[in-house]
Amino acid sequence: MLFRRDMIPEGIGEKAHTTFSRGSGSAKGARMSSLGISQIVFLPQLVPTIMLVIFGTLVIWSASLTIPEASFMRHLFGIFLGTIAGYAVWRYDYRTISNLSTALLIADMVLMLLPKVPGFGYSAMGMTGWIRIPLIGLRFQPSELAKLVTILLMASLGAEYNGRIETLLDYVKLCGILTIPFLLILTQPDLGTGLIVLVSGASIIICSGAPRSWVLVTIGMVVLGATLVVVTSLTPGLPHILKQYQLNRLIVFVDPSVDPTGDGYNLQQAKIAVGSGGFFGKGIGNATQSGSGFLPEAHTDFVFALMAEEFGFVGSTLLLGLFGWMLFASISLAQRVDSPFAKLILVGIVTMWSFQLLQNVGMCIGLMPITGIPLPFISFGSSSMISQLMSVGMVQSIWRHRPKAA
Amino acid sequence: MDPIVVIATLLAIVLVALVLVVLINRGEARFTFDIGGATPRASGGGDNSTEKGFKNRLTGLSIFSGSIIGVLFTKLWSMQLVSVDEYTQQAELNRTRTISTAAPRGRILDRNGVELVTNRPSLVVVANTEVADNDVEVQLLANILGMPPVAVRRKIQDQTEGAQSLRTVSVDVSRRVVSYIEEHQYLFDGIDVEERAQRHYPLGSRCAHVLGYTGSPTQEQLAASREQEDESGSIVYESGDTVGQAGIEYQYESVLQGIRGEQTVYVDADGNVLDYATSIEAQSGSDIVLTIDAKVQEAAEQALLDAIARVRKKGNSACNSGSAFCMDVTNGEVICLASYPTFSPNDFVGGISNDDWENLSSEESGNPLMNRVIAGQYPSASTIKPLSTFAALNYGIASSESGYDCTGFWTGFGKEYGQYCWQHDGHGWVNLREGIVYSCDTVFYEIGKGFYYSDNPEGLQETYRRWGLGSSMGIDLPAESSGRVPDAEWKWNYFTYADEFARSWQGGDTTNLVIGQGDLLVTPLQMACVYAGIATRGTIMRPHVLKSVSSHVGDGSVMDYVGEVAREVEEQESSYDLVLDGLRGVIYEESEAQASHFTNMSELVSGKTGTAERSGEEPTGWFIAFVPADDPQYVVASCVEQGGFGSDCAMYVVRDIMGAIYDEPDTSTAVDTSGVR
Repeated sequence: MLFRRDMIPEGIGEKAHTTFSRGSGSAKGARMSSLGISQIVFLPQLVPTIMLVIFGTLVIWSASLTIPEASFMRHLFGIFLGTIAGYAVWRYDYRTISNLSTALLIADMVLMLLPKVPGFGYSAMGMTGWIRIPLIGLRFQPSELAKLVTILLMASLGAEYNGRIETLLDYVKLCGILTIPFLLILTQPDLGTGLIVLVSGASIIICSGAPRSWVLVTIGMVVLGATLVVVTSLTPGLPHILKQYQLNRLIVFVDPSVDPTGDGYNLQQAKIAVGSGGFFGKGIGNATQSGSGFLPEAHTDFVFALMAEEFGFVGSTLLLGLFGWMLFASISLAQRVDSPFAKLILVGIVTMWSFQLLQNVGMCIGLMPITGIPLPFISFGSSSMISQLMSVGMVQSIWRHRPKAA
Repeated sequence: MDPIVVIATLLAIVLVALVLVVLINRGEARFTFDIGGATPRASGGGDNSTEKGFKNRLTGLSIFSGSIIGVLFTKLWSMQLVSVDEYTQQAELNRTRTISTAAPRGRILDRNGVELVTNRPSLVVVANTEVADNDVEVQLLANILGMPPVAVRRKIQDQTEGAQSLRTVSVDVSRRVVSYIEEHQYLFDGIDVEERAQRHYPLGSRCAHVLGYTGSPTQEQLAASREQEDESGSIVYESGDTVGQAGIEYQYESVLQGIRGEQTVYVDADGNVLDYATSIEAQSGSDIVLTIDAKVQEAAEQALLDAIARVRKKGNSACNSGSAFCMDVTNGEVICLASYPTFSPNDFVGGISNDDWENLSSEESGNPLMNRVIAGQYPSASTIKPLSTFAALNYGIASSESGYDCTGFWTGFGKEYGQYCWQHDGHGWVNLREGIVYSCDTVFYEIGKGFYYSDNPEGLQETYRRWGLGSSMGIDLPAESSGRVPDAEWKWNYFTYADEFARSWQGGDTTNLVIGQGDLLVTPLQMACVYAGIATRGTIMRPHVLKSVSSHVGDGSVMDYVGEVAREVEEQESSYDLVLDGLRGVIYEESEAQASHFTNMSELVSGKTGTAERSGEEPTGWFIAFVPADDPQYVVASCVEQGGFGSDCAMYVVRDIMGAIYDEPDTSTAVDTSGVR
């Protein structure tokens, strides 16, 4: 009863768009095959993604020159694994999971709780967010995968309403289900990933057709709650829900001069790296901020600062441009497909990428507080690379399995 | 940019985006644009409402993503294009460090090029600032260096060496300690051994009072140098520096001190040096050549030591200090300057220990740091008599024909105020010249009485001052005293709490003054200059120890001290004739034994003895002479505190110095028993 599936939206488009028929006809030879590729691959989204991955590879290679932890081979291996995973997702008909929401929820919860399993989990940077894959000894961060699973879960639920949530109960139910993965991530604790899950999920709920007033009230409640959490954490005597380092990051965000050696130092060094890059950048291997160790985590969280220092404003613009191209291509795909499920998946993925871009680049330039969120396709780290390439596979799968004219 | 502004901008953008979304969806309850009829087409409805709704929501998503990219782009534009210089400067500051390099201090040589002060390599233990936080390491370091842990920590925490430099913990560390540290590197993290130049005085205490000593800059010197930092060419001290604190080291600090070099290096975040950038070579200090002759100086020091030993051997254990001085009267060059007791400037290298310092500055040890030639003040005793003679002749108190009857006890101011001549048996009938030769006090008591009752009761003081007493001679050494010429005004103000009679100037004060006793105070330097003036008939050259400043390249000098006249004294030629004749008589006529020490020299000598009396003490002996008597070149003075009669102690010092100058050692063993003063 929980997951009502009396309406199946997928079928709608197939009947409606009988004229959608670019690939059909009598063209032959090379033209035929190129048309064939664009039939199964959504090039406007794939091309910028490949370019981003190549750009990222270049950045990580330059980081590997000075940062021993940034193993270039491991980065390539991550891309390799991600490509395989993405390929699998692309081949898989996403529509078959549209009515598997219960399974998705369970999968989501398992992913979140996996690091808590004794002997399986792995802690780093104050978080129990990793698992060690037994045979190969690789560490994997399941919450990265959980972001995509949550998007699929929320999309499959939202799609049921076919663009219009009628009852408050339905709305509350959607919001309630979203809080499950969010709260589970918070227990790791990984506020950054939690926020991505929350924002992408909320975006899906809104696009599912939730009444505006309800949404505004919910946002108001969330803002109020967040403020309350911060205030109680700052007030001596009241329970401190936020950890001290999280509070510090907030304080430093408001006034970077407060703490010149801790987070404030990191922020300051990141800004110096970005700003000193100038128009053309300092060139590969000439980055003094990241190359001489002033910029911390230059290959992971602060990879954008490293990129901006080496490639300058030209590099920053290229990166934003590629992201923009990719995002708008995905949005245009969402407009072109008929299935609400597909639309909502795309909405979730686009929101996730946009928000991660804002969060990661924003923290390097002082627009957002510091959180440990990787920059999609660029940051060093296999978990992120695999889940992001799977998201790309998802977008491609939506294109591949779109209803085609006969 | 102010973070508040950033947040406000961000909020404004989000707000605008929200308003845009609302505007697009105006009038709708959902984020959609539903033109009525909610029946999905799946149910057979003809309306495309769901499609329309999604379209607008996706437009909202486009605005969301687009504004994110827009905001990031704008901020990046401002950072990478507008504020690039500011950030580039910060990045440079981050990665560059400037380390100052020490400049070698100039050497000090004697007039013949003998090294008096030089530099030697020394092993120095330096430590990173973080070591101060490591109790175990500090304790370990303290143990092997033999310092209290508190002192070790204080040295490491000393900020004045510059924030980045390694801090000096101990200098002149033994090889044993160095090898221990190097063998146990793992125990001494952040601790290093460096080789630095240290001041070295190869001749030990030789010439110590001229050379002075060095030390770390005082807080005052550090503050003063920081104030002048902006002036070009000025020296900026750091606490590990070697700075002159006395003598020539202090006087010519600006010449001796080099200019620190600067080395700019590229560092990583941990402060490790990655590469070298620009550097400014350290400029070593200039070498200084002194007028001192090390050979004569050695003789002077030995003579002083011998003379004091001679006095003490005779049972006078109060005698423990004295001074000797020799100057070229033609140009003011100081040939030797000795003061006893003395010290070794080497003790100050790398910081003097508290015990040593207390020992050197205590009264019991006889103030070894004091330069008695320029800072020792004594009554001049009979050595003043030539000046008293000039005064008497000038003011008409006496003439070359004046004669006096010395009975040994003078009652010029009445029997109750009677005063003895040192020769209690009396000199008989003596004239003014003989008054000088035999140092007859009666002659000068009469002169004093004459002044006391004359229209110029302070004619003596005026004459003494004209000859430079009561004011410093301006020698190029620090801490010169100016002595004291007492007069009625001084006495009145000095004895503030005495009764009116005791405060007022009496005839006895004048008769004391005229023979150089009582409240008169002079330095050996002043008296030597007076005799230099007598020898040259009125031209006193400014005494100086600097001869030249050597050039950095070649053998030449960049600066030669040009002799200058310190004082031109006018006296009648006939007065000079009489006084010079008298002074020659002192040497050859006063006492046979005394004369025997000078007749064995090929050069003629003129001079004067003196015996200054202080109640409750043995008298202080003076002897001042110049040579050759007919064409004077050197004036030699000696003063032995509580050494007894001048002819019995200071005379030997003067004779030995002359012996060193002319290579004619004193062969006479005759001892003066007449007690001439």
